[in-house]
Parts: sequence; C-alpha cells; structure tokens
Amino acid sequence: MSERTPSFKDVFIKGAVIYNPVLIQLVGLCPVVAASTTLKGAVMLSAAMCAELIVTCVIASALLKKIPRWIRVALYLLIGLALICPALWYIETQTLVNLSLGMKIYLPLIAINSVTAVHCEQVAVKNNVKLAFYDAAAVSIGASAVFILVGILRELLGSSSLGGIHLDLPIAFKGMLLPFGCLVILGFLAAGLKAFLAWAYPETENESDPVERQRKTPSAEENVTEVELFDEFWNVSEEPEEVSMDVSIPEPEPEKEKKPEDIRLETAADIDEFFKSLGIDLNEKGDKR
Amino acid sequence: MANIAAKQSPVKASRLFGDYLIMLIAPCVLSLWYYGGRALWVILLSVVSAVLTDGIVSAVLGKPFKIKDLSNIFIGAAIAVMMPAGVPFYVPVSAAVFAVAAVKVPFGGATRAPFVPAAAGFAFASVCFKEQVFDFAYSAEGKLLGEVSLASLLSQGNSVHLKTSTVFDIITGNVAGPMGTGCGILMLVCCTYLFVRRRKALLATAGFIGACALFALFAPRANASALTSLVLELSSGSLLFAAVFLVTDHATLPKNNINRVIYGAVCGFFCMFMRSVGTYEETVCFAVLLANGLRPVLDSAVRGFNAVTAKRKGAKA
Repeated sequence: MSERTPSFKDVFIKGAVIYNPVLIQLVGLCPVVAASTTLKGAVMLSAAMCAELIVTCVIASALLKKIPRWIRVALYLLIGLALICPALWYIETQTLVNLSLGMKIYLPLIAINSVTAVHCEQVAVKNNVKLAFYDAAAVSIGASAVFILVGILRELLGSSSLGGIHLDLPIAFKGMLLPFGCLVILGFLAAGLKAFLAWAYPETENESDPVERQRKTPSAEENVTEVELFDEFWNVSEEPEEVSMDVSIPEPEPEKEKKPEDIRLETAADIDEFFKSLGIDLNEKGDKR
Repeated sequence: MANIAAKQSPVKASRLFGDYLIMLIAPCVLSLWYYGGRALWVILLSVVSAVLTDGIVSAVLGKPFKIKDLSNIFIGAAIAVMMPAGVPFYVPVSAAVFAVAAVKVPFGGATRAPFVPAAAGFAFASVCFKEQVFDFAYSAEGKLLGEVSLASLLSQGNSVHLKTSTVFDIITGNVAGPMGTGCGILMLVCCTYLFVRRRKALLATAGFIGACALFALFAPRANASALTSLVLELSSGSLLFAAVFLVTDHATLPKNNINRVIYGAVCGFFCMFMRSVGTYEETVCFAVLLANGLRPVLDSAVRGFNAVTAKRKGAKA
C-alpha cells in the first residue's frame, strides 16, 4: 500500500522549521559563516542555493534512484556544478560582477554544500519527484530565511548599513563581520528557534535533538544515529518496500469450530445462544404450557 | 563541556566571587590613583551593564535573578580594569553585556560556564573595537614610555636596556596600558590572598607564569637580555592579572592538581605564542578561552596517561 503524500504545508513545517537545516541540523554552515556578511550577499547565496538544491533533488529523485550510492553522491556534486558554473559565468560577465566577486570562492562552493548531499541522499532518492521537490523547496526556504536574517544582522551590526545603504548607527561591531560573529548570531537564532518550537510545537520538543533522543534510550541497541532519526522523520527505509503484483482475491479463512470447553454459560444470553446452537429455542410460544 | 563544568564541587558563588572582589579592590584603587574619575566611570558603567543585562536576560528566560552571587559585579569590574582609561564608554558596556548574555547566562551561571565570562567579554571587545581597546593615549603624560605600552614596545622588536628606575616604574604599573592590571606588586599581593583562600587554584597560576617565563627567556621578542625580556613580558598587558583572576576561575579549573598545572602551562604557551605571531597586543584572554575549550581534552589525556601508568605498574607487580 502506498502512503498518502504529505502536503506541502506538512513538509514545509518540518523541513524549514522543525528540522531547519542551518539552525537545527547544523548543515551548510560554511557558506553562511563565510559569505553572508551583507544582505546582498545573503540574497545571492540564497538564490544560488534554492536553484541548485531544488534542481539537484528533482533530478536525483527522477533519475538517480537505481544508481549505486557511491556514484550518486559524486553525481549530486556534478549536477550542482553544472548548474552553478554557467550561472556564475553569466553573472560575472553580464550583471552583478561586484557582488559575485565579493563572495569570492564561496558562491561556487554552494554547489558542493552538505545540505544538497544530505537531502538528495536521505529524501530525494527514496521518494517520488513531488515529495523531493517539496522537501527541497522547504529546506531551501528555511535555509534562505536564516541566510538573509544573518546577512541583515551582520551588515547592520558590523557595518552600520543595510543593503549597501549607510545608516549612521552610533556603534559598529566589526567582529560581527568575522566568522565568530556569525556563529554567535547563529547560536542566538538557534536558541530562539528552539524556544519557538517548544512553544508552538511542544510535541516536537527534543524530537529534532539527537542528543536528547539518545538520552531517552538507555540501552545501546536502542540508540539511533542522526541519519536514522532523519529516516524516521521521512518514513523511509533503506530497503524499498516490495510491492506485490498478485491481484487475486484471497479466500476467506474458515471459521474455527468452538470446542465444548470454549463455551461458557455464565449469562442468560450465553444459555440462549447455546440452546439455539442445539436447535432449541427457549423463547418459543409452544413452551407455554 | 558545560556538563563537565557543572560537575565541579558545589561552591557558594557569593563566597567565591566575594574573594575575587576583595582582590579586585587593589586594581580598582590603582586605576583611580592613575586615571582618576574617568576610571571610576568606566568601572561603574561596566558593572551596572553586567548587572542590568543579567536582570533583563533572567527576566526574559523566566529564571531567578541572583544579584547576591556577586558574579556580575566581578565580571563588570574585571573587564573594566583590563581596558584603557580613555576607552569610549560603549566598549566596556558592550563587553560586559556580551560576557553576561552570551557566556554566563546561557550556560547556567558563572560557576558553570565552560568559558571565563570576563575573558570572553574582553576578547569580544578586542575583536570588535581593536583601535579603542589598544589606544593608551589617555593621560599618558608622565608615564615611562608616554603613549607606548610595553606590549607595543615588545611587538616592535626594539633594543631595550632597563635601569633600576625604569624597572620600578614597570613593576608599579606606571606605564601606558590597561588601567588596573599593570602593577606587578599588587598582583603579588592578590596572589598572597589567593594562597590563603584557595591555594590549590594557584597551581594553574604557577603553570601559567612558568610557561610564560620560559617562553620569554628562550624566545625573547625584544632585542634584550633574557632577564629583561622576562620582566617586560610578565609586566606587559594583563598577563599577571589574568594569571590571578582568569586562569583560576572555579568553573573552568580542572579538579586534579596535575591537570591544573598543565592547564595553566597550556594557557601560558598559547598566550606567548599568540603574542609572538599574532596581531593583537593583548592575547591573554584569547589564550584563556582556548585553554577553556581544550580543558576536557587535557582532562581525558591525563586520565588516559594515569590509567596506562597504573596498568604498567600492575603488570610489573
């Protein structure tokens, strides 16, 4: 039996909020730490990530299911590079030259970020194209929201500007432009998100925290890895289910005959039932003599 | 790491930080002596910011606000005395807010934080406001080298020859630098107090100063004799202050005596190494934070070494 495909809302809440790739799963930290020092940079990074992740996940779900895993992972990277490199070439030669140069090596590196590998391998190749697209879109939106928020905060605090417009704030914390500043911001955002989840989705509290989950399972056999938790979330198993093609109607099982020791005559109804089985109806009028 | 820090023996925070505050009176008085009202304002603002931040964050998180544990006052005052007197007021305020909001409260208080809050606050200020934190021009008339600090002198690698009078100026803190941490004599007095109250904590101090001294003797930065290099290195910046107040922090100090010495030595090595190759004049807070991060590794390494030694002894017996 095939299960009902989750709605985009369900996938979005889980993929973008409960299992936010940057704040909860802590994947894709390199680009956000290195490149989201300005709002423009963060928007550019988000756009590149959305395009690359969605396309790669859809292609992985549609075409790469039967390819061995050790080749698949390399193919994700190749697909990402095939998408990003022409786009970069176009951007550098035609439009936002300064922006892409400002991001140096980090924009091409988005092609090989861990978010893509994780979601292609854990979700896309184990589900249909529709679900893979939903997941990629949700994760992209979740990651992009964090990128942009971090970009805004870093630019505001570190450069006293927003979107390149100088705001004349009295204090500029230059450390916020360094990786250390980004990690501090990410720490506070992650704490805020966890607090929001505890308030809005109390049933999911500690669900996304592998440490808490492992604390709850004392025996070593019951301990689960992060990958297994992720699989559990997506209801996918490593081995695909075998679908039976037998369409014949199964014969109904014969009713078991009740043995005498199984019959209990404890109530009036039991006694009536027992005599009826013997062909005697105690409620017949003829009994009235 | 927070769990490891939390396993420290229970100690009354007010007593612990009360001792530190008693010791901190000396650097504060020194600051007032050299820099007057300006130093008082810096210290007051830093302390008030730390206390207010703890109050606000505790209210937001719904935790009880314990002003009586004195940790906020210590954090604010320690950050202030490591700053130059002419620093803009927002610098110590930002440092104190960061120390309390990002390092102390999230990890369950000053007796549980895996990093020393005061060191984290000063490191934050150093990274964010480098020019202001290392500008010692305020009230520099009459100082030994004018606006030039000892750390700056050492980093330039000049030839230095010390006279008796200049040594006296150096050890009494009459040199441009942090407003309350330059006087070596006062730090010795603080060490004596610490010896009376928590003598085992001084093992880390000994390891720290020993490592710094060895580094200064064998790899002098200035073109000077080994002894001159030793005096200058130990007297520059907040090295001695950190040895007494930051390295001995209860929450981050290892429990085992050998571990304490090794922890201090690692901290001292990092400090001197970063002074030699880094771009910051004052590196002791970064070194303390690095050693804090490495503490669980050091603990497990020493435990493993002890276990192997015991096994070999057992096999021989």
